[in-house]
Amino acid sequence: MSTINPARLSGAFLLSVVAMLFPVPAFAQIDLSGEWSVRSHEDPGQPPLGDYLGIPFNEAGRLRAETTAESIWGTPEYSCRPHSAPHVWRGVGGARIIKEIDPSTRAIAAYHIQHWRSLDRIIYMDGRAHPPAWAPHTWTGFSTGKWVGDTLVVTTTHLKDGYLKRSGPQTSDMYTMTEYISRYGNYLTTFMVVDDPIYLDEPFIQSTTHELTPTLHVPLEPCTASFDENGGNDPHFVPHYLPGKNPYLTEWLETQKWIPEEAAKGGLQTTYPGYQANVTTRSPVVAAKSAVNANERIAAQGPRDGQVHVMPVQRNVYMLIADGSNITASVGPEGVLMVDTGPAAMTEKLLAAINQLAKDVAASPRPNQCLGVSCSTMPFGWSSVYMAGLIGSPAPARPVRYIINTSVSPEHTGGNEKFAKVGFHPRGGGEDAMRIAHQNTFFRMSGASGEKALLPEGGQANETYHREMYKLSEYFNGEPVVVYHVPNAHTDGDSIVYFRHSEVISAGNVFSTVSYPVIDMAKGGTLQGTIDALATIIDLAVPEARSQGGTWIIPGHGRLSDTADVASYRNMLVMIRDRVQDLIKSGMSLQQVKAARPTRDFDGRYGSTTGSWTTEMFIEAVYRSLTK
Amino acid sequence: MKPRIAGIVAAMAVVVLLADPSVIHAQRGRGGQTAAARGARLSAPADLTGHWVSVVTEDWRYRMITPPKGEYGSVPLNPEGRKIAEAWDPAKDEATGEQCKAYGAAGIMRIPGRLRFSWENDDTLRIDTDAGTQTRLLYFGAPPAATPGAPLTLQGRSVAQWQTATGRGTRFADTNLSEPGGFLKVVTTQMRPGYLRKNGVPYGSNAVMTEYFEIHQAPSGERYLVVSVVIEDPQHLSQPYVTSTNFRKLPDASGWSPTPCTTK
Repeated sequence: MSTINPARLSGAFLLSVVAMLFPVPAFAQIDLSGEWSVRSHEDPGQPPLGDYLGIPFNEAGRLRAETTAESIWGTPEYSCRPHSAPHVWRGVGGARIIKEIDPSTRAIAAYHIQHWRSLDRIIYMDGRAHPPAWAPHTWTGFSTGKWVGDTLVVTTTHLKDGYLKRSGPQTSDMYTMTEYISRYGNYLTTFMVVDDPIYLDEPFIQSTTHELTPTLHVPLEPCTASFDENGGNDPHFVPHYLPGKNPYLTEWLETQKWIPEEAAKGGLQTTYPGYQANVTTRSPVVAAKSAVNANERIAAQGPRDGQVHVMPVQRNVYMLIADGSNITASVGPEGVLMVDTGPAAMTEKLLAAINQLAKDVAASPRPNQCLGVSCSTMPFGWSSVYMAGLIGSPAPARPVRYIINTSVSPEHTGGNEKFAKVGFHPRGGGEDAMRIAHQNTFFRMSGASGEKALLPEGGQANETYHREMYKLSEYFNGEPVVVYHVPNAHTDGDSIVYFRHSEVISAGNVFSTVSYPVIDMAKGGTLQGTIDALATIIDLAVPEARSQGGTWIIPGHGRLSDTADVASYRNMLVMIRDRVQDLIKSGMSLQQVKAARPTRDFDGRYGSTTGSWTTEMFIEAVYRSLTK
Repeated sequence: MKPRIAGIVAAMAVVVLLADPSVIHAQRGRGGQTAAARGARLSAPADLTGHWVSVVTEDWRYRMITPPKGEYGSVPLNPEGRKIAEAWDPAKDEATGEQCKAYGAAGIMRIPGRLRFSWENDDTLRIDTDAGTQTRLLYFGAPPAATPGAPLTLQGRSVAQWQTATGRGTRFADTNLSEPGGFLKVVTTQMRPGYLRKNGVPYGSNAVMTEYFEIHQAPSGERYLVVSVVIEDPQHLSQPYVTSTNFRKLPDASGWSPTPCTTK
């Protein structure tokens, strides 16, 4: 007969108590990982073109949808794009959710979600903040997750413009998507709130249910670029429909005759019970609130806050925002090359920021990585004390060597004189920094064209070009820098600057993410020149993968962008050009064109009723460009 | 020695219970004893009470307007189910007083309208619908015994259970800790045969409906109720029919407008 040994019993029990004091596994959040098949038996398949049932469109959203051609997918800039974020849960092929575990703590650092036509989408769980408004937007956006109960709440910002559904409804690039992912046994329901006040009267909501399917394999759809699908030999052809002239919007109703055509156009009230034909007593529902202030969000991309913000871009290149105007800086061991110098009032702050950046990049004390007398990188006269001195007092950063002006606009040339003076010519010799601009821009800077000089002599270009391009005579900071003239765009003297190893293009005023392009007709600007300038950028740039990233484009104002963003902007201008052209052909005067509001689906995103460049001024410039 | 051992064990057990929150949590979570003892109303991890309105952004063509016969879209009907759907006769339903067949438990949540959640008592949650003027009772624990031989009802018998969250989030930073939450699971059986859609898409008396009610708060402060539903009915369906239906919280009862059932 066995007997109980109290000492052993209490020892074992104490061990179990100690073990239970650290009960981490007992608090594990519900597991979302696995392969999930779509099981929602709602709105099956791809909605037909023109089917906007249940979409709380505003007027702009409806027009944007109706004028969008599905064949936009065939343009080179979009042919490899993944499904847009709101649509992808409903895309074919299901979803794979993967946990990324931090190896040192085994906490969940991130979730990764993959669909058939998607990128690997990361949902950060490590508490990081969302990037600043001037950071790039991507197809999947920037997502962070948080648990509310056993539901993972995912907030996604920094999304590119795309589509809400495949039937034509578009999203702006200003929306926030919030997803609530809940697991109920082997089912997973994802509830989504798409908050896009540019195109919707209230946030669009949708829920999709998946079922755990361990045998499912979610493959990756290969990119099938088809460059000539739409425009034959014109890679810049932009398919679209003029307002009221899309013939395909109601085709689908031929087979679904019980649906009223009016309802098919969507709209807030169509999504609530009061819309039903047999219910007449219910009052209209007040729209659900939006959490997105679009105007604030757009303005935040190029903050006019009297400050300088620095955004690292790629390799040598940085984007600096000085009170809303962008400056591109190549910073490295050979010094600083600036593309544009910001507004005059910002010069001192910009100078301090550039100096600090140069010091951080090229002249910061760094820990000694080299120990022992046989160290291969040992400096001449090595001794440990000397080495310590080197670390504590590195050589100063090299100064500004080049200034390249993209145009003569004061918000891009205001610091020219100061930066030229504090800089040094790349060849040394005590001369000021070299200033490069297109000849026409120089004429305006200097008054050589017979007008009043716009800049003091010390700020004027001292190196000009008049051909289609200009190359720095040698590498700077280890890379070629090429300047292209884009004629008659913002003005007749515009340049874009291409950093060929860093893969960055500084676009100047031909591209903005915060307004319509400023077309300065008095200085030779035109709409078509602006469209062509954007096409030049698109031709130079190469996306990294799935139609995003790769060559970064720094606009004159607004957030860091890529090829797809420039294409989207170009597409908008082509649509507006064709609309206004159509109105002119119909005999409309400028006032009538303005009254027709041909830009109304883009005004919420790029328009303005106040400030130095209003929507009216833009339409007038478009009109005059096309009637010149 | 034995009383001493028992004393040690008892003392250690107390220590374990106090020290290990997971043990306590297990008692409270997933419909455990503690929650039951407090009553469903007091132990609710989420407050469903109040008025909600359907937001019809999905299946609009099948929900906002009664579609024609044969338009059963993505419902995974089997041949028997299709046969019944093809035989739908709304005039006959009206004539026989069966105009509420689309307003049974398996169909009513998909019909656009307003819902009113309230507590019938501490352990019974009540859902009233203005569309069709129906009432569903969700029982936490055993529902009242059915009278032998009594006919099945449109709303069937619904057994409800709170599902309280078990996790605490990731631990990179305090901001990553989970907020409290949970959802309601409801299993409904013994429903009188009815329609999943108003155009006669059928479900039968053996159908089992499992629903998950969960509230989500949007960044704007708007509150949404998502009802995820799995209907199993091998008699009429070739696989479970899965939908999720969305509602928005209303500040008050305005717009509440009870209407009778209709086949139109």
